[in-house]
Amino acid sequence: MTELLIRNAYVIDPINDIRGEIMDIPIREGKIVEEVSDRAPVIDAEGYLTLPGGIDSHSHVCGTKVNFGRYMSPEDMRAGRTARKGRMHVTSGYSVPTTFGNSYRYSAMGYTMVLEGAMAPLEARHTHEEFTATPHQDMMANTLFDGNWSIMEAVLDKDVKRAAAVVAWILNAVKGFAIKLTNPGGTEAWGWGEDLAGIHDEVPHFGVTPAEIIGTMIRANELLHLPHSVHLHCNNLGVPGNHRTTLETIALAPDLNPKRQSLYLTHVQFHSYGGTTWRDIDSRSEEVTKAVNAKPQVVMDMGQIMFGRTTTMTADGPMEFKLYMLHHNKWSNHDVELETGSGIIPVYYTRKSLVNCIMWAIGLELALLTKNPWQCILATDNPNGAPFVKYPEIIALLMSKKFREQEGALLDPRTEHHVPLFAIDRELDWYEIAVMTRAAQAKALGIQDLGRGHLAPGALADVAIYPMKTDQLDPATQFQQVIAGFARTRYTIKRGRVVARDGEVVVDGANSTIWVRPKVPPEYDLSRDPEFVKKFEQYYTVRMRNYPVQDTYLPRGICIETEADL
Amino acid sequence: MRVTLETKPRKKPKIPIEAENIIPQNFLRGMDITVYEGNKERRLEDLFYIAVEGPAVSPDQVEVILKGDTGVIKRVGEYMNAGRIVVEGDIGMHCGNFMSAGEILIRGNAESWLGREMRGGTIRCLGNTGHYCAAGYRGEKRGMRGGKVEVMGNAGDYAAEYLSGGEVIIRGSTGDMPGIEMRGGTLVIGGTCTRPGANMTGGTCIVLGNAARIIPTFAAAGIRELTWEDRSYAVQVYNGDMANRGGKGTLLVRRE
Repeated sequence: MTELLIRNAYVIDPINDIRGEIMDIPIREGKIVEEVSDRAPVIDAEGYLTLPGGIDSHSHVCGTKVNFGRYMSPEDMRAGRTARKGRMHVTSGYSVPTTFGNSYRYSAMGYTMVLEGAMAPLEARHTHEEFTATPHQDMMANTLFDGNWSIMEAVLDKDVKRAAAVVAWILNAVKGFAIKLTNPGGTEAWGWGEDLAGIHDEVPHFGVTPAEIIGTMIRANELLHLPHSVHLHCNNLGVPGNHRTTLETIALAPDLNPKRQSLYLTHVQFHSYGGTTWRDIDSRSEEVTKAVNAKPQVVMDMGQIMFGRTTTMTADGPMEFKLYMLHHNKWSNHDVELETGSGIIPVYYTRKSLVNCIMWAIGLELALLTKNPWQCILATDNPNGAPFVKYPEIIALLMSKKFREQEGALLDPRTEHHVPLFAIDRELDWYEIAVMTRAAQAKALGIQDLGRGHLAPGALADVAIYPMKTDQLDPATQFQQVIAGFARTRYTIKRGRVVARDGEVVVDGANSTIWVRPKVPPEYDLSRDPEFVKKFEQYYTVRMRNYPVQDTYLPRGICIETEADL
Repeated sequence: MRVTLETKPRKKPKIPIEAENIIPQNFLRGMDITVYEGNKERRLEDLFYIAVEGPAVSPDQVEVILKGDTGVIKRVGEYMNAGRIVVEGDIGMHCGNFMSAGEILIRGNAESWLGREMRGGTIRCLGNTGHYCAAGYRGEKRGMRGGKVEVMGNAGDYAAEYLSGGEVIIRGSTGDMPGIEMRGGTLVIGGTCTRPGANMTGGTCIVLGNAARIIPTFAAAGIRELTWEDRSYAVQVYNGDMANRGGKGTLLVRRE
């Protein structure tokens, strides 16, 4: 019986409404319990800030798209090298590190769960293989449905139940966690050499619009009772004037689930641009956050960019092509069957670029103008906006107006005419940061019932102890200490085991992969549906039986079973 | 100050030595320098007989002479910024990585990536060199940016890849695709080559021997007279590479 007692912890646990109390946290068999025996080993937290383990609800860390980023940027693999040390493997890479690099760096920051933002169904096996080599975080994978032919046909027939059946079969086959839509319809149009300008344009050859796809998928998602909502990357990413599309999309979100949002919008920073071209682009974060504040059924993440080198990777191929036309750097567009696409290019966000300065400001504005921190999640869309190792810096920017002004002085002086950031006085507090980095994620992903993201008895013992005492630290002025504190935990505890101490990983990990199996009635089991099977034979390069990922690829899989209302 | 390093006999002489610390500026601080033999860190005196003559007060007064079995020593002169290195025999890969000033003289042959991404200074190789001479490393978008590399013998494939500045002179022949992705600077090839200048966007590539298989996206732009090292040649001018937007490179090939 393994036990552990954390004493004198200054706990903030938003899901249980604990806003800073000195507490003891007893742990037995990887779970938080009421009390432990007096033989249990003790960790003295010394009154340090103690939070549930961090959760990243949108990150690209595993899968072929990420791996292709590694192939494409050998120069990136020469950066960020760390040598073998104790239990730590050799790692390398800065914006697209090795899987162990990702895992160790997340552990050092106190993160214990990561959601891979986009998994192409055809390439699921590789994603799961990389999950098993990401040892210290529990992983989940959003599965891409944005250009799925069967889905689009169901949408055209207005057959929500068939769409739900397709989702059920694919999620079950590829062991995915939730529905991800990336530029729905747009990537498919791109496959035919065309592009869509808004969510009411028709996808060529299919006669459906992105708005119809999104609406149908939200209802299919609720019919299947999936834990997470539809995870949407809106249309028109990175296009000046795209805030209109974003507002239209937010208006689509119905009120279907009392427990959580019905639409999760990811990297909204890239979707909050006004103007018509790169020359007159400005921030429309006020309009977007106003819509979000009025709509509790929507949760978004920031998609903050930070200055420096990184690699962008997304299933949104047309958008990556537009970026390539700006930079003329190396690029890749990748076609993954009839379901989605992908694109990858390396970028450098620079303070010399007015557009980049405006983008930097918009992300922060989204977080500061959203009234309810549960509706705005902290993320960079790693590595698209910035590698996740920049999270501590973003936290410091949100907590300190002085830091924002200090950074603002380095920007292009025209920036302030395009953004409202420097007029915002709000400084987030420790509680709001705790919400935005773990509790809101757990709620939005629907995994708090699995004991994730909180510290009540019965929860999984994922704890992060940061070397900061909130009563001795003023984040508004001492932002450098805040950055250093959030960058390296004193202890990161995963499932009751200390995995990292002072930023160094001390044990080999054993993560699990969480996936969802919606149970559908036999008449909606598509593996026997002749039309669905025929699609694979006629159009796919692989057979239907090549799709399912076997259980051996998930040695420690955790399956969430749901009962579908079909 | 003249530092002479002569290799000692080793049990396994084929194991390469990673010697990025053999640069003149380091010897000013004494001989307490380590290099790697395979994956083992070694002190300099474990691998070399060291002889030091004379004093020096600044790195540009330091001359390092490498003797013996030097063909397995890699990364000599990495980040060198002053002084002189003379290699009495062959030298391994990555000699003169990122060097910004000073001089390297190689009396034998040099392996691949001679003068990789170098910023300034001079490298002279009296023998042949391998592939990627004066190029960028895999994934880099800029190769050599300044200085001069002169090879008296032949070079391998992809010489001066991503050349962005400075001068590369190869008096012998090169392999396939010299000057590929050139952005600036000058590449002179004395002998023959194939497919020169592919995808270049800037700079000048001069072929004084015979260039085979010039790629079709170069536009012929007449014949002109070229004087190089006091000799004059009639050269065919090509502009390109037209496959690139703004391919402003110039390819000059001697007419038969």
